[in-house]
Parts: sequence; structure tokens; C-alpha cells
Amino acid sequence: MTQAKTAYQKPIPLKDIDNAPYWDAADKHQLALQKCDDCNAYSQPPGPTCAKCGSENVSWEQFGDDIKATVYSYVVSYRPFLPGFQDELPTIIALAQLDKVPEVKIMGNILNCEEKDLEIGMPIQMTWVDITEDRALPQWIPATN
Amino acid sequence: MGTIKDRYAIVGVGESERSRKSGKTPLHLALDAANAAIKDAGLKATDIDGFMNYNEGDSCTSHQLATYLGVRPKYVKDIQGGGASTEMLIADAVALIEAGQLNTVLIYRSMNGSSGTRVGRGYDPDMLQRALTGGSFVIPYGSASPSQWFGMYATRHMHETGITKEHLGHVCLSFYEHAQRNPKAFLHGKPLTMENYLATPDISSPFNIHDSCLELDEGNAIIVTSAKKAKDCASKPVYIMGMAARQCHPHAHYWNDIDQVASDYVAEELYENAGVTPDDIDVASIYDCFSWVVMRQLEAYGFAKRGEVGDFVAEGNLKIGGKLPTNTAGGMLSEGYTHGMNNAIEIVRQLRHDYKGTDRQVEDCKIGICTGWAGPDIAGAMILRN
Ligand SMILES: [Zn+2]
Repeated sequence: MTQAKTAYQKPIPLKDIDNAPYWDAADKHQLALQKCDDCNAYSQPPGPTCAKCGSENVSWEQFGDDIKATVYSYVVSYRPFLPGFQDELPTIIALAQLDKVPEVKIMGNILNCEEKDLEIGMPIQMTWVDITEDRALPQWIPATN
Repeated sequence: MGTIKDRYAIVGVGESERSRKSGKTPLHLALDAANAAIKDAGLKATDIDGFMNYNEGDSCTSHQLATYLGVRPKYVKDIQGGGASTEMLIADAVALIEAGQLNTVLIYRSMNGSSGTRVGRGYDPDMLQRALTGGSFVIPYGSASPSQWFGMYATRHMHETGITKEHLGHVCLSFYEHAQRNPKAFLHGKPLTMENYLATPDISSPFNIHDSCLELDEGNAIIVTSAKKAKDCASKPVYIMGMAARQCHPHAHYWNDIDQVASDYVAEELYENAGVTPDDIDVASIYDCFSWVVMRQLEAYGFAKRGEVGDFVAEGNLKIGGKLPTNTAGGMLSEGYTHGMNNAIEIVRQLRHDYKGTDRQVEDCKIGICTGWAGPDIAGAMILRN
């Protein structure tokens, strides 16, 4: 069987025992972050324990779907290093600093953004792209206010 | 001060041919490099009782190399690693000699980095998602190459410190200029001008092809022994003053805190162990997988203040004749690429004054630094003297 040309070619986030709540929330177009109940540090990406203090008392905090951030850093990629990116060059890969939790930075592509408009500090907001029938990928677009 | 100061030495260095297509296995390249280093030291292969190697699943084993040198060693060690592994394995070798387990250790890196596995082309996506901490938060967004990973650090750092693309160009131009003096450099005969540099499109911002290290087929080897045994070698010993390494990032996940790098932490310990300061350094090998990585380390190791690194390189200080002649054989940007070992070999040759009487010699250099960087989370460095 060959895959249809329209099939999603890019890598799909692999869920595992530690990160599943993040990606389950993403599939529902929501953001969830892991937080330590002892030292209050957020763990992003999530892990088996809090990497800051080693505590096993970690839980998940829901942030909903209105996620604002600013561009902390970025790269513009003109060459694909993974399948699926060859048709969408250049690719903007950014590190988003969350307005509500500035210590948390989340990587993503900035969609609907011209390279010339891209700059550090630029306001962006999270959006979700349905990539398969049951999976969605958090992404970023320039904030509209 | 480190208790091993000046008590161990590098007594032999050597390399194979370097090319885009060796037509040989990494074992052949390793044999060429090892034999060159053994000859350089004036030793017999059987004088070596320990063999160590770092690789990314792309090399022969230390056991194979020893076997085909006709040696039955006491100790072999193969680690997964890239940048900074040279310095870390030298530390391991010193420790084993100090412990009375070994006498003389050969450390090598051998790879068909061009015709075999190419790091710069990225890796298998699913493997990466599982192998990298938090890989699933990075790989689905197309970030699978070290240029993209380090580029994220570079963009922010350049924004904060005023480093420009032209400053990165000065790093490249300085090393390319050195390569023009080194007939064995892969880019010998291919000088670079600022005009050409700036006209070259980026592969992944802020890096174009000149900002990125070469990918070549090549083997390198280094021999370490005690200062006492070094006296019996044919070469002029280069003594290890101090070493330091760090294999973690302050943060659990290195993309969550792109403002710190492991080199920041290594520097202090390194100078303390060696008992010197940045002002004492005459010649440098600074790990240069990408131009910006050099800039960031110049800051970390105290050669220029944060915010002044751009001017430091623009003034020509990395060139022979500058304040800190760096990567004087051309570095990994223009000589060759073995995840740092070729840079370590060059610092040894400079400190031995192997180039005396030519325009390649950093005149009267006495103390040198060699730094390694596998990423923002892994650094290792050593200070050597003649
Ligand atoms: Zn905690």
C-alpha cells in the first residue's frame, strides 16, 4: 500500500508515559503543563519527576486555548532536515515565551508569517493544526489582539 | 590547583588523509592515524596498553584498532560522543594512568563523516524523538539538525549582545585564512572574502555553509602518557596543566533555557585547575562546529567580555598575529572535522613549535587552550603548555 499524497508526512509527536497529558490536551486544542506540587516549577517538556527538585509530586495544570506568547528566539530554515518540510520552505522555527508563565518556552513553527516580519519579542498566539484524524499539533501565528 | 598539573603529557599526534570519499573503512583510517601518532611519539604500538575512542555508531572499535596494530591491550573503551569527548577521554586516560592501571593510552576518532554517516543532514525522526530528552517537542517542528538547535541559541545571543552576521563572517575568514597556510586543510586553496561570505545564502539562520563545519572522512589519534614516560619519547612533550568538563545543562531541557551553556561552568574550574588566567593563553583551539559557537565560547572562557566579542573578532584577534590566534590549522570550518580532535592535534603542534620558521607558527607560544562543545549541555576543555 502506498500512502495517499495528502497524508501527513512530517514527524508526528510520539506520546509516552510522561508527555501523554500534554499531547492529549493538544489533540483537544488545549494547553496543559506539568507542574511540581512541591517546588511549583513547571516542567516543560514534562518528565517522570520534577527535574528541578526531584519530587514525584507532579500534576497537570490546564491553560485552555487562549495562549499568548512572544518570540524569544527563532531560526529560519531554508533546507528540510526532516520529511514533509520540503514543500514549506523556508520554515520558521521559534521558541515562544508564554505570557502567563515566562519561564516556560515552547518550540513551534510560526505560521502565516513572512520572514521579514519576524523578530524577537513579536507577539504570537497558539493555534492548533489538525494533522491526522485524531491528532493536533500546537503551532503559533502572529497575534491579532 | 589540580593535582595532575604538568604530570601528564601528550606525546604523539597523527591523522589519516582527509577526503570526501575515503574508499576505506573507519578501521583503515584509524590505523593510519594511530600509526602516524605512534611514529610521531617514537613509540612501538605495543608500548600502548589502553585504547579509547568516541563515536556516533560510525567508527571501528578500540578493540579492533588494537588488534590490527598487533597489540593485545589491557583496556579498551568506546563511548558515544562528539564534541568535548577528546578532552574527556584524555581526562579518563590520565585517571587510569594515575591509578596505576595503564602506562600509555591512544585516543582516536575515525569516521567516514562525508561518505558514511552525515551528522549535518539530520537523523531518523522517530529515533530522535525517543533519543532526545523532550524530542517530541522539537522534532515535529522540523528541528533535527545541530545547525537549527544551536541556531536558536545564536539568534537570541546575537540579539542580546549585538553580534552581527558580519561578526560571524570574521570568525570564518580568520580560520579560512589559516587554512590557506595549511596544505593539508580541506579548504586550502579556497580563500573566503567578506563579500562572498555575506553573499552566501543561509542554510538555517544565522548560518550559511561557511559558518558550518566540514563533513569529511578522516581519522585522528592522540597519545597520552605520564610526564616521566614522556621523557623517553621522540617528540617534545606537551604537558597538561588542567582539565575540566561538564555534561549537563542547568535546565532539564536545553531549549527551555537558551541563555546558559555548559562552557560557562567549565571555564572557571579549568582556569583554577591549570592555575592560569585567560591573559596567559598564547594560542587557542576553540570548538567550531559553527561560527557562533566560537563566539559564545570566547565569552564563556573569558577572552572577551559579553557584548564585546563581535569587536574582538572583527579586530582580527583570532588570526595568527592577533591577541588569541585560534584554530590555526583552519579549524573544523576549513581544515577538517573529527568532532574536535583535529583542533587538539593542532594545539599540540603549535606548542611544540612544529611550524617554527614558517608563517603558521604562533611565535614563542607557551600555553594553549583547547575547548570542546557537543552542544549547550556538554563542554570539556584543557590547558596545555610546552
Ligand atoms: Zn520540584
